[in-house]
Amino acid sequence: MSGDRVGIIGIGQSAFRARRDDANYPELVREAVVMAMADAKMDFDAIQAVVYSLSPDAMIGIGNAERLGVDAVGGRSKPFLRINTGGATGISSAAAAYYHVASGMYDVVLTAGADKVGECGDSQSVLNKIWDPSYERPLPLGTINMLAMSGLRYMDQFGMTQEDMAYVTVKNRRHAALNPNAHLRKVVTIDDVMDSRIISWPIKLLDCCPQSTGGAALVMASEKYIKDNHLDAVWITGVAHAAETYWMGDRMGNNPTAEHSGAHALARSFEKSYRMAGIKDPAKQVHVAELYAPFSNTEFHAIDSAKLVAKPGDSIRPLLDGEFELGGRIPVNPSGGTLCTNAIAVTAMARVAETALQVWGRAGAHQVKGAKLGIASGNGGDHQIFGTMVIEA
Amino acid sequence: MELLGRQEVWNITYDHALGETASTFYTLIRDEAAIYGRRIAGSNKVMVPPRSFSDETLEPTGEWVKVGPGGRIEAFTMVYEAFKNLPPPPYAFGYVLLDGADTALGGFFKGIDLTDPEAAAAKLKIGTRVVATFAAERKGEMMDFWFELEG
Amino acid sequence: MGLRVQPGIIGCAIRPVIASRDRSLEEIIYETAQLALKDAGLTINDIDGIAVGSNDQFDGRSISVMMASGSVGGVDRDIMSTPSASEHAFILGALRVATGQFRTQLIVSWSPTEVSSMPEAQRLGTDPYFHRALPLDELSAHALQASALESVVPGARAAAQAVTAKNRAQGQAAYPAPPMTPDAGALRWPLTPSMTSAPVTGAVAMVLACPEFIAERGITNVAWLQGMGWATEAGFLGDRDLTTAPALDAAVKQAYAMAGITDPASAFGVVEITDASPYAELLAYEALGLCARDEWEARTTDGTFSVGGKLPINPSGGALTWNPVFCTGLIRIAEVAQQVRGKAGAHQVPHVTRGLAHAGSGFAMMYQAAVILGQEARA
Repeated sequence: MSGDRVGIIGIGQSAFRARRDDANYPELVREAVVMAMADAKMDFDAIQAVVYSLSPDAMIGIGNAERLGVDAVGGRSKPFLRINTGGATGISSAAAAYYHVASGMYDVVLTAGADKVGECGDSQSVLNKIWDPSYERPLPLGTINMLAMSGLRYMDQFGMTQEDMAYVTVKNRRHAALNPNAHLRKVVTIDDVMDSRIISWPIKLLDCCPQSTGGAALVMASEKYIKDNHLDAVWITGVAHAAETYWMGDRMGNNPTAEHSGAHALARSFEKSYRMAGIKDPAKQVHVAELYAPFSNTEFHAIDSAKLVAKPGDSIRPLLDGEFELGGRIPVNPSGGTLCTNAIAVTAMARVAETALQVWGRAGAHQVKGAKLGIASGNGGDHQIFGTMVIEA
Repeated sequence: MELLGRQEVWNITYDHALGETASTFYTLIRDEAAIYGRRIAGSNKVMVPPRSFSDETLEPTGEWVKVGPGGRIEAFTMVYEAFKNLPPPPYAFGYVLLDGADTALGGFFKGIDLTDPEAAAAKLKIGTRVVATFAAERKGEMMDFWFELEG
Repeated sequence: MGLRVQPGIIGCAIRPVIASRDRSLEEIIYETAQLALKDAGLTINDIDGIAVGSNDQFDGRSISVMMASGSVGGVDRDIMSTPSASEHAFILGALRVATGQFRTQLIVSWSPTEVSSMPEAQRLGTDPYFHRALPLDELSAHALQASALESVVPGARAAAQAVTAKNRAQGQAAYPAPPMTPDAGALRWPLTPSMTSAPVTGAVAMVLACPEFIAERGITNVAWLQGMGWATEAGFLGDRDLTTAPALDAAVKQAYAMAGITDPASAFGVVEITDASPYAELLAYEALGLCARDEWEARTTDGTFSVGGKLPINPSGGALTWNPVFCTGLIRIAEVAQQVRGKAGAHQVPHVTRGLAHAGSGFAMMYQAAVILGQEARA
């Protein structure tokens, strides 16, 4: 692939907040795009195609809201399409932009989006409608109780405790406190988490991600373009997606292929990304990881699936020992991660952006020293569709 | 300056076709107060709720198999937070592997005091035996049945 | 610019109208995907990537790729979705094959009619800031475009009536034993009910493969991708001159450059155009370089674009006959693929070696794409 690589040359991210009454939806997209273009030191004419990142329409209350974003991304009369894989949308959009370049079709491609989850009064009822109308939607399913059940199975199989979960929040809040773009930046203690109110047993308020508002954008280019124009870049060396069954009940019972305590297809996607990047021993080769984990308990199975530990359940002890903190063996979510900031349409793009900044050495106060190889992931659907990337300096 | 807002409501309804397989499933619940799954062709695996094809093999399913009413809890949660358009809290629901089935079926857990979460969680521990219980008046829908602790 | 690896279409399933309600949407999608695999002589085990296109508001699912994933073989496969347009799923799939990282792609799109009001589902696609209070649906936007064209192009109405008659007649011949007759659309002046069709349930699937895979399997009946281009108009209708199609101009320029087309009027054996309204078809004639606007009336009334004429356009009958709203664009591409492969059925045009598909969607054809398919591996 040498000579044919795809690089990230510009990154834009909002300072994510609960609400932004000063900017409407397309203006938020524009804000991130302008930052990414400035970062790439590039003007809009150079953008040849656009991939628009937007998850459920109902979350921002505008059907096919990507149409409203066309001008925000400078898309008029340019190739433009939208990706949606639920929570994975941001990394899927980055992958689609990557394919635009890797196919040979275009040299410079922009991907961008934004979300205003804070303006949606009904996010869990919108998310209830991701389930099929025949069998599972009549249940009061939402993404919180779906992953609460995953957590209970993880407890049952691997002995995770509520205090272990709380420690993930403690760690990620410490990280977020160093990241000016993070939404929840207040440092908390295990007691704070344990004393917070129960949402869906065993998940408590401080085990949950917030509903965030903000945008993100990435500019990608072909290796040839980057070299011809003497640009600085980091490289996407592994890209993949994998999905597992839609049916929650099929992830339980007798010998399920995809066990609901874990993230089977995330592991499959990482296997593919690692193979593409030539990574044989991720636990030794990966320097930093931004893993999509919207609830504290899910960071454990994300670390397991990324094979940063030997087998499922092995993530608990080293996480408590600080191996996945800034300064530890492989910092996981040094930005604070999805647990501290979740603008659904771009939250998985923020994982890509943060990983890119880390291997670029531009992450600021939450920089992992000497990071040259990082990984990013996104989870979408009902813990169903997973996207992964390997990014290298 | 004065920043204005606008409240908008989406109001659309859908009439979803359930297909032959789900229609049969619900008709049997309504008429027989019994839960049936479907066996995947060329395998011993019984899918509950029944699907017309396996998403793993993409092979059709065939034979109807009566399952339950007993089973074991595979997953549960208790919700203490109110969400719009979802039931008032607290409530407990989750998934049960009915006897004779290979995949788990969702439903509410009833008859458990949810006042003390720790105590309720102990009662609903994964692996606990439950029994599917049917409403006297059934409409042919998921709410026609729920799970109660066995014995 | 150009694709590293040239994708070829090796299988299609086109279901422009599904009248029965005996299947759930998941089951319709499953059957359609299986039909395309069968047409390609493959099984799901041969597929290593999937792209689907669907609309959450039409489907009544918040993230409709989720329910479709199992139906199309998404379990343990690389699946992505393009809710912007059905044709965008084709573009994404083609780009993925072109990277050389995928040998095959399954492309699937569908459009159900389970929503209580299609106009209402479409109106939710207007912004809440300025336009939501207006009764805007896609048909209204097509009507706005029609009246704009009538005001600047003499004879546009007569040409639109001729296009309507042509496509409806061709549609009757193409799908001679349909389970129902197409219902007329709704009146949105100047569009008469006969100038549009009521939405129906439909689905479409196709299989793409790389040359290496095609050679290994000894597949000889291939519609090769010779060129493609796609682009978007501005989001607000008020920002557009509805009598022009700059996005389609840009898409066509790209597609023709890729395929080396310099004289489009004589380059194709068949053309399929997304005729959401007959005026949309007319506007596409011009952008595709097939017929300038001052010739519209003459060429649509002399049979040039009819089956048996110099350049048959929409031998399938187009969306004017069967209108599964969301997936009509991908159906146009699949129709051309089947023409090139000699598998178009009752409406097969003889001796098609190269064809052109126009896919458009959204308010007044906001999204535009042009796809050139041919029997020759390289244009």
